[in-house]
Amino acid sequence: MKDFLIDIAELLEEEEIKEEDILEDFEEWDSLTILSIIAFSNEKYGTALSTIEINDSKTVGGLKKLIAGKM
Amino acid sequence: MELKVNLTFHNKKITGILTILPSNIVKFEDEMDNYNFSKAKSLKLKLAMGYNTHRIAKDNTTVSDLCVYGLNYLFEKDYLKKEDIDALILITQSPDYFMPPTSNVIQGKLGLKHDMICLDINQGCAGFEIGLYQAFMLLEQSEVNKVVLLNADILSKKVSKRDRNSNPLIGDGASITIVEKSDKPNVINCNIKMNGTGYDVLMVPAGGFKLPSSPETAEMKEDKAGNFRSLDNLVMKGDEVFNFVQREVPPMIENLLKSSKRDIEEVNYFMFHQPNKFMLRKLADKMKIPYDKMPNNVVENYGNASGVSIPTAICHNISEELKSDDMFLCFAGFGVGLTWASILMNVGHLDFCEFLEY
Repeated sequence: MKDFLIDIAELLEEEEIKEEDILEDFEEWDSLTILSIIAFSNEKYGTALSTIEINDSKTVGGLKKLIAGKM
Repeated sequence: MELKVNLTFHNKKITGILTILPSNIVKFEDEMDNYNFSKAKSLKLKLAMGYNTHRIAKDNTTVSDLCVYGLNYLFEKDYLKKEDIDALILITQSPDYFMPPTSNVIQGKLGLKHDMICLDINQGCAGFEIGLYQAFMLLEQSEVNKVVLLNADILSKKVSKRDRNSNPLIGDGASITIVEKSDKPNVINCNIKMNGTGYDVLMVPAGGFKLPSSPETAEMKEDKAGNFRSLDNLVMKGDEVFNFVQREVPPMIENLLKSSKRDIEEVNYFMFHQPNKFMLRKLADKMKIPYDKMPNNVVENYGNASGVSIPTAICHNISEELKSDDMFLCFAGFGVGLTWASILMNVGHLDFCEFLEY
């Protein structure tokens, strides 16, 4: 998952993101971004995420852990 | 996973398709203010999902109105004779009444013969496939020669205008597909699967016998994403629909092609149900099907009217080709139920393939 931060930053339309960043605090955070993350992780890592799981993961690092746990 | 329910039919053909659309066109931009989101975010959604305009039936329009109007047009144009109709199958989730069947209402309004069968089927996104299966099965009978398949829905009435999740994509409409016996020994390969544990992924919670509509069920409530809807409204779990489609549809098509001994290259068009552009593109990517072989332009032009989306896609994209040539098509429907089904068949030299405005 070496490009994870770059990929997620792109989906969030941010220059740079850190693992401790809170997902909800990003300006672009909404249902469409969540769907983009679901589609992205399905395509790149073959995982199926739900909106609830993504919201519960709280941070960028939490999201990474969620995806890694399903791979 | 191997599909167990593979269906095979012989000597059947589609001879005409008419799609009836409400003349009322609603633009995405005109409804943006209803949503609890910034304009910039709504425009981003529009771009990603391929939203633009959709067809919305007037308040007093019913499913039987759309079907009767379309059938009368076919009688006037001499595309269809009243006395030739041996069966009327209506696939809808927005019937005129709980009882009687709306197909009987249509039969009565048109004054069709009594020597026929009228049948309502409660199906949605896979309604074109389910309807064709039923038509093919009826045509196995020696005295059934012509089946009229009606797909019709006006589900916009059940969608909250303040639900950005569902309102921009919904569309109303109806389609008439004529299915007949064929002299040619053609083979039609199909499959179908259902998973009723996902019954609540797409649903209208109130208004049936379990939870009748009441002032309480009409109360608008905000969900976590900022959408407002009541229990009387259609609710869709978008993430679950997405995951379901990505998980189930590619192996279904792979299995259908394999059991039919066919390749992706041999299929002229993959005419799939269209929930939105985003979902179709992701499906095409996963299945390595070029975008131009899997049209995804129904939602942006007309909206998603459930089982009507495939006939709409056909009339919009390949009507001329289907009148003059023969094509090898793959149909797939997936959604409410959960239900997913697909068909491989030759379609061509249609007597008609067009739109009609109501």
